[in-house]
Amino acid sequence: MVQKLFFVDKRENIYKSYEDLYSDIKQSRSYNKYCFEHSYYEIFKRIVLSLILDKEIILLDSDFSISEVEKLIEDSSLIERSEEKIDLSNYSFDLERILKGTQLHNWRITLFTSGTTGLPKRISHTFASITRQVKKSGNHINDIWGFAYNPTHMAGLQVFFQALLNCNTIIRIFSYSREEIYTLIEEYGITNISATPTFYRLLLPVEKSYGSVVRLTSGGEKFDARTQYNLLTAFPNAKLINVYASTEAGTLFAAKGDVFQIKQGMENLFKIVGSELYIHRDLVGFSDSIKLQGDWYPTGDLISVVSECPFTFKFISRKNEMINVGGYKVNPHEVEDMIRSYPGVSDVVVYAKRNSILGNIICCNIVSESVLLKEKDIRLYLSQRLQEFKIPRIIKFVDKLEVTRTGKITRDRL
Amino acid sequence: MERLLQIVNTILENRGKNIVDDINPDTNLRNDLGFDSLDLAELTVRIEAEYDVDIFEDGVVMTIGDITKKIM
Repeated sequence: MVQKLFFVDKRENIYKSYEDLYSDIKQSRSYNKYCFEHSYYEIFKRIVLSLILDKEIILLDSDFSISEVEKLIEDSSLIERSEEKIDLSNYSFDLERILKGTQLHNWRITLFTSGTTGLPKRISHTFASITRQVKKSGNHINDIWGFAYNPTHMAGLQVFFQALLNCNTIIRIFSYSREEIYTLIEEYGITNISATPTFYRLLLPVEKSYGSVVRLTSGGEKFDARTQYNLLTAFPNAKLINVYASTEAGTLFAAKGDVFQIKQGMENLFKIVGSELYIHRDLVGFSDSIKLQGDWYPTGDLISVVSECPFTFKFISRKNEMINVGGYKVNPHEVEDMIRSYPGVSDVVVYAKRNSILGNIICCNIVSESVLLKEKDIRLYLSQRLQEFKIPRIIKFVDKLEVTRTGKITRDRL
Repeated sequence: MERLLQIVNTILENRGKNIVDDINPDTNLRNDLGFDSLDLAELTVRIEAEYDVDIFEDGVVMTIGDITKKIM
């Protein structure tokens, strides 16, 4: 069993069996709850190590800049100072027992999601809440996962735990080229892929079909019918499932097509206010930055009810202004704040331009104080401070910003 | 083709990549120009602003030639 392949990252030349994972962990001499790693394997290893030690783990995106990290954890030197010595040389491995979760008392996993007020929200999950949707059974024992998410984000973690708890093989395909991905699907007989619609769109068009894949899961943005149709031609044996998931709550519902159904017995954990979906606090991770209203968390997702019994619904849009760039949420306020901090910028508005590749891209209009302000210099400034997908792709210099009659800056009509 | 070259080079330059001297119908957006999904998204927005055509509307655009066919 332990000889089974755990993780492959072909580009980084990493091929690890479960046995390799155990032996690498046994050789660990220190543990740091701040995980600020680039390698997927290092991140996965650290998560398993945190479970063995029953200690908290805090995941930081590897592409966060130091100034972004400082905003999140106040002092980046905390990362260095949190290193502690450990000795597992006499530890006898029993992953099965650990993954039951019953002996975890201190463990929790913390990650950061794009917030609505400029600062990402810090969300922590217990083992029970992060694995709530994991399906563990004999049916899943031979699943081979194409890993198509960032490993420090909620969706990636859900795939990781689904695979880990079933002792599955994980093949990295995220940020690989289409040719590499298809080669890996064939070479390893990948059976399951979970990815954003954007990821799937970039896999198309495809010249042949791949029979090994039996399940495609998608979420995070609207999935257009044409892509769905083309995908099922490429993967004729696959079932396509849409999920609704959030960093706050993990995966909550799955849908065939775009109609979601609330599971029987869970009806009391949801309610609708106006047309906004609220979820009960029992389903939400814990965080100081989550604003509950009594026992309820307003998701900001607007839905329309399809049928009352059973209760089914469709998602309409987000209540707030987050911009979805290929499944990554961008908070326009955060980008504006950063651009405003550049000398010579007097004002800026960040907005989205729709496109059929990523849903949206980020654009901005800048009012400058000086003709000396150069687009190139602003780009360089931003590239050192923001993740790539947050940086405006189209920057325009304007004399003034359009405002609504109430004097608010408008993003909608740009 | 001249205008398309300008758009391509604007995108390359904004990402701090080397600009290209020329493009032809066989130039592959991903393999030859090194465009990633953000670059492709920017390209479609810039072309739509200029030519009022959503080149990726039906999903299949691999080369410069695929684009010129749609905007001519």
